[in-house]
Amino acid sequence: MFGDSSVYSRKATLSLKISEFEVPPMQDLLIIGRKAPIGPEAVRRMAEALSPEQFTLLKIDHPKIEAVLLRNSILQMMDEKLLMKIILEESERMISESMVLRSELKIALSVQREVDLL
Amino acid sequence: MNISEIMNPTIYSISSDKSVSHAAKLMSEYQMDSLVVIDHGEVVGLVTSRDVLTAHPNRIVADAMCNEVHYLLADQNIWEAHHYFLNENARLAIILEDQQVSGMITKEIVDMQIAQYKDPLSGLYRAPYIQFIGESYLQKKIPFHLLFIDLNNFGRINKQYGHPFGDDVIRTYSAVLSSVAEDQGGHLCRYAGDEFVLISTAPDALVEQYIELISRPTDVLDITVSAAVGHVNGYSEPDFFSHSWRELIAQASLASSAIKAQRMESSFS
Repeated sequence: MFGDSSVYSRKATLSLKISEFEVPPMQDLLIIGRKAPIGPEAVRRMAEALSPEQFTLLKIDHPKIEAVLLRNSILQMMDEKLLMKIILEESERMISESMVLRSELKIALSVQREVDLL
Repeated sequence: MNISEIMNPTIYSISSDKSVSHAAKLMSEYQMDSLVVIDHGEVVGLVTSRDVLTAHPNRIVADAMCNEVHYLLADQNIWEAHHYFLNENARLAIILEDQQVSGMITKEIVDMQIAQYKDPLSGLYRAPYIQFIGESYLQKKIPFHLLFIDLNNFGRINKQYGHPFGDDVIRTYSAVLSSVAEDQGGHLCRYAGDEFVLISTAPDALVEQYIELISRPTDVLDITVSAAVGHVNGYSEPDFFSHSWRELIAQASLASSAIKAQRMESSFS
């Protein structure tokens, strides 16, 4: 039998995980699927708001991929067509129409020169 | 009838940064299947119910809209709007008056108005349509052939076989004329009872061939039908463009009557 002395309580536990927000959050490039929840124009506006004049949006004709957002500095280092060819070749195997992929892209230059000794 | 008389003076709009799901909500609220996308007072696109259905609801309107916007002028008439929608495969146009946006119009509204100018029996347009085509050609100084086609002895067909059969003849004959008119890119209408008017810009030889074909007795629904064709040739007629539409149609119909009278005479002699 339940008497007046029974105690009822409701408690909540709060948990916080704090880490640094990376600006911009999209690293070097974003690959946007044709039916992704965020479209190219929204991505462009977001990039422009977070990192003005640092990203370029390239719309492409591809069955699954609608556009690629690229960091301008990468485009200055490599030919756009060659870069896009590599990005598409590698990403089209794993992307679906509804996905947005983000990627880190680093270019490392390796040089070896042979010179005549005096 | 001008577009300004049937357009919707209210612009149902949305800004490009709103979500597709918000656009769908507005469309349902306004009972519209398109919204004009306006950013900072400038028209930037159009979002339709089809766009809303195919795009992810989380996307912004800018990523779902069509950037191609169609414009019509408030003083253009409904035939011009009808032709524009057909040629451009558009469904909605913004209406401009004195270079200012004054409203919008959908293809459905124009089609509903145009349907009133269709003859229910033959499915062809009625006289105001051909008048619009003729007058606009005259205004633009485009020469054309004007053919006034009058069925011979149609009154006799009605008396001999009854009016329902006469209606069947009109329907079948209209379909024949319509297919020939389409072949040469002409404009055809049922002008009155058993009279049809055709405007064609086809070469003379082809038009002559067409007249020969129509004038020749043809079997329609087990009876033989022929027509008297009055022809005004805008390519050879002197001062063609100095005539009004009314004068040209009178000239063509009189030419048709003269051919009929000539045939009657020769059948009695």
